[in-house]
Amino acid sequence: MTKNSIRQTLALGKRSTLELFRQPALVVPSMIFPLFFSFLGNSSFGRTTSLPGFPKVSSYLQFQLAGTIVQGVLFGSVTGAAALATDIENGFFDRLLASPTSRTGILFGRLAGSVLFGAFSTAVFIFALLPFGADVSAGIRGIIAMIISGALISLAVGALMSSVALKTGSSEAVQGTFPLLFILLFFSSAFFPRETMSGIYATIAGFNPISHLVEGIRALSLDGFTASATARAVLVPLAIAIVALVIANSQLNKRLRSN
Amino acid sequence: MSNSPIIAEDLVRHFDDVQAVKGINLEVKAGEIFGFLGPNGAGKSTVVRMLTTLLRPTSGTARVAGFDVVKDADKVRRSIGVALQDAAIDPLMTGAELLSLQAVLYGIPSAMMKKRADELLERVGLTAAASRRVSTYSGGMRRRLDLALSLIHQPTVLFLDEPTTGLDPMSRLTLWEEVRRLNKEGTTVMLTTQYLEEADQLADRIAIIDHGKIVREGKPVDLKASVGAPTLIIKTNIDQAENAKTVLSTFGDLRPGAEGALGVGLRGGASQVTDVVRKLDEAGVHVQHLEINEPSLDDVFAEATGYRLEGSDNAPSAGDNGDEEPAKKKSRRGRK
Repeated sequence: MTKNSIRQTLALGKRSTLELFRQPALVVPSMIFPLFFSFLGNSSFGRTTSLPGFPKVSSYLQFQLAGTIVQGVLFGSVTGAAALATDIENGFFDRLLASPTSRTGILFGRLAGSVLFGAFSTAVFIFALLPFGADVSAGIRGIIAMIISGALISLAVGALMSSVALKTGSSEAVQGTFPLLFILLFFSSAFFPRETMSGIYATIAGFNPISHLVEGIRALSLDGFTASATARAVLVPLAIAIVALVIANSQLNKRLRSN
Repeated sequence: MSNSPIIAEDLVRHFDDVQAVKGINLEVKAGEIFGFLGPNGAGKSTVVRMLTTLLRPTSGTARVAGFDVVKDADKVRRSIGVALQDAAIDPLMTGAELLSLQAVLYGIPSAMMKKRADELLERVGLTAAASRRVSTYSGGMRRRLDLALSLIHQPTVLFLDEPTTGLDPMSRLTLWEEVRRLNKEGTTVMLTTQYLEEADQLADRIAIIDHGKIVREGKPVDLKASVGAPTLIIKTNIDQAENAKTVLSTFGDLRPGAEGALGVGLRGGASQVTDVVRKLDEAGVHVQHLEINEPSLDDVFAEATGYRLEGSDNAPSAGDNGDEEPAKKKSRRGRK
């Protein structure tokens, strides 16, 4: 990337961030609903922490924190990708293409907004739930690692959703994937440890990438700031992000070639 | 090789089975305002999108600002300004923010960005609204901002795709003035429009495109002169139309008329009107409406394509009062 294309990407990232935070109707629900589910889960499933297979936790919220973070990040990433599709629909994408902007900068600029939102929402969830018992065993370093992990998960999911946006050019199609993500979330270890599951549910949760994203952050929350926990929290989303970026870039090139 | 800033040779574009552009040749000379006139779906925007590198031609070549639109697309993009009809302006951003973004996209150094943006905002009369979100702008303000955005890098060639569609008359006049001013400063302008009056008022030369082909090209005054005779338009009962046509055809070539009206190019000039009325009366044709029009671009269009430009009767006039959307207006023919 040249100096100019980095400058372009940063400017586009600033735009997508401003755009996101200027739509409170989109941002606020993606903060409120995961917190609501957390408190609901805490009151409904608080006693499940004593079940065999449940890890040792100070409260259900401590266990749930990782699931809350991933849930919020999923919301935000879909919103960011839907904004890319809207750019395609309303012609702003053409405005960018008619300028000498780096083509990958257009994609990365959009994703930069999602990444910042992912980091921001992760921090909000941690600090909102800490007073209610969502302890982070890994301390302040763990919190920083969790925020980085949230940002990387945003990048991974945002890139995958952006592929849908670039493929279809339809914000409805992107938003239509959200129920699928929600189903994936419920078929993961976001709300209960895999050790308490059985049968097909346990098998699906085992293969479900969301389980691995959640468990990486959860390791920091429960196990402390260990090399293994940090690696799981950061490397798993990073690996998924790299694959997702390759797919998104390929969709971008396909769209450009189709013109 | 000609060094004209816009040259297209045998430009063709297919969309699956649809041939949207069927071999366009055109040359726009430096310092011209070139009007590209045609109805919706004629292929105007497709041609502009190819010339601005947004679409690849299926075949043929085009050079803009001296660069091939396919091989040197990035150089073309650095040299041209583009204001597309269907390219939205982000409503969540302010005018000043969008100009800053555009400046970065065109590689303008940070030190120059603010000065350039301020100059352009003043030029298009948006200084006071610069810090407001675009969602609060009127249609005219958005178009003026769009124009300012397209000028941030001081391009030598400017593409304006239907720049005044949907604007109120005052906004239209303001934009026309700005286009003239830019042109006087040396900018070559290619303007697509479906408004006859706009092409007539602004363009040094025009090309009429219909069904993907250029059917007429030249200076408006020459094109109008080529039509020659003035057009007599009459309206009559539908059951008397055949009789009327027979009578009219003895005075010149029949020309299309809008909305059921009949037209004829009077070979003998306007002095023949009384003879026409007498002959129609003798043939038992009851004339409900009659008007005589000097040759206009509408006549040129009608002669070239066999039909009147859709909306030519209701396209808004810059001098009329009206709302944002074009209101139905009386015939504009014969204005120039």
